[in-house]
Amino acid sequence: MIIRILFLAFIGSLITACCSTGTTVVLIPDAGGKVGQVAVTTKAGSTVLTKANESAEAEQAEQAPTQAVQLSDKKINDMFAETLAKEPTPPEHFRFYFETGNADLLAEANAELAKAKAAIQARKSCDLSVIGHADRVGDNEMNRGISMKRAGMVAKALIDIGITKECMDIRYYGENDPAIPTADNVDEPRNRRVEVEIR
Amino acid sequence: MILRYKNYLTQSAVHFVLFGILLLISPTSIATGRIGLVKTYQPVATVIRQGAEINLQVGAEIFEGDTIITNSDGAVGIIFSDGAVLTLGPSGKLIVEDFLFKPAEHNVSFISRVVKGSVAFVSGAIGRISPGSVQFKTPTATLGLRGTKILIEVD
Repeated sequence: MIIRILFLAFIGSLITACCSTGTTVVLIPDAGGKVGQVAVTTKAGSTVLTKANESAEAEQAEQAPTQAVQLSDKKINDMFAETLAKEPTPPEHFRFYFETGNADLLAEANAELAKAKAAIQARKSCDLSVIGHADRVGDNEMNRGISMKRAGMVAKALIDIGITKECMDIRYYGENDPAIPTADNVDEPRNRRVEVEIR
Repeated sequence: MILRYKNYLTQSAVHFVLFGILLLISPTSIATGRIGLVKTYQPVATVIRQGAEINLQVGAEIFEGDTIITNSDGAVGIIFSDGAVLTLGPSGKLIVEDFLFKPAEHNVSFISRVVKGSVAFVSGAIGRISPGSVQFKTPTATLGLRGTKILIEVD
C-alpha cells in the first residue's frame, strides 16, 4: 500500500515536472549596471519587478503571478548559465556633437572616428548604424533635415577612413529620440548628435 | 564676385555630398528588411521562415516572423537593428512576432513569443524611445519591459 502511494506520488511529480508551462522572470542589471523594470501579467493579476535580481513566477495563466522575491547571483547563474554563456558582446556606441543648426564635424570628431574605427576592426563588424539627431530648436521638419545631414556627414567621414558603406545603416530621427528629454525649442547640445552603434 | 562664385562652389559641393548620402540611405533602410544578425552560435539552432527550416550560423540574418529553435545543445545570440541583444539557450523556441523600428515616425514595437526555453534579453532603442513597446508573451504571462535586462525561463 505504502509502495503504491509512493509510486503514485512519484508519477504525480513526474507529470508536474514534465508538463508545467510555468514562466520565471528575473530582472538583472545590464552591462552598465542599470536596472530597469518589468511587469509580469497573467489573466489574474500582475507583479512588477523593480530591483536587481527580483524574480516572479507565473505558473498558470489563470493564476496571479507570485510576489517578487530576490534571488542570489549564484541561483541566477545556476538557472541561466548556458544562456548567459552565449550572450553576444553588447553593442558599442560613439557620439559626435554639433553646433546649433549645423552639420559640420567638430575638431574632436577625429579622435572619436578613430575610436569607432578601432572598435569596428576589433569586432570584425559589418553591422553598424549611424543615426542623426537634433535638439528641439526649430520645427520638426527642419530638425529631420538637419539630423539627416549630420548622419550623412558622419557616414561620409567613416567611409573616408576606410569603413565599408555597405556595413552601415544610416538613419535620422529628427528630435524624436533625445538623449536628454526637453521641452520644445530648448537648446540642448547633448541632443545635437550622431550616434554610431557598432553591433 | 569671386567670393560669391566660391560660395556657390562650396554650396554645390555640399549638395553633391548630401545627394550622394541620400543615395546611400534609401537602399539600406528599405530593401533588406532584415531586423537582426546572429552574433553567437552553438549548434544546433535553426530558423523556420515561410515554412522552411534553415540552419543558422554567425552572420545569418533574422527577419520579422522568424521562429528560432535550438536543440538540447544549441544556443544563439542575436543583435537586433535597434541594438537589443537576445540570447536563446538550449531546447528553446521563440517567435519574433512583431518588430517595427521607425523612430522618425514614432512607430516602434518589439513583441516576441517565448514558447519554451531560456532567454536573456537587453533592450535597445525601441525600449528607450517607447517604454512599454517591448513585450514578451509566454504560455502563462505577458511581460512588459521598461528597460533594460531580463532573464526568462519557460518550461
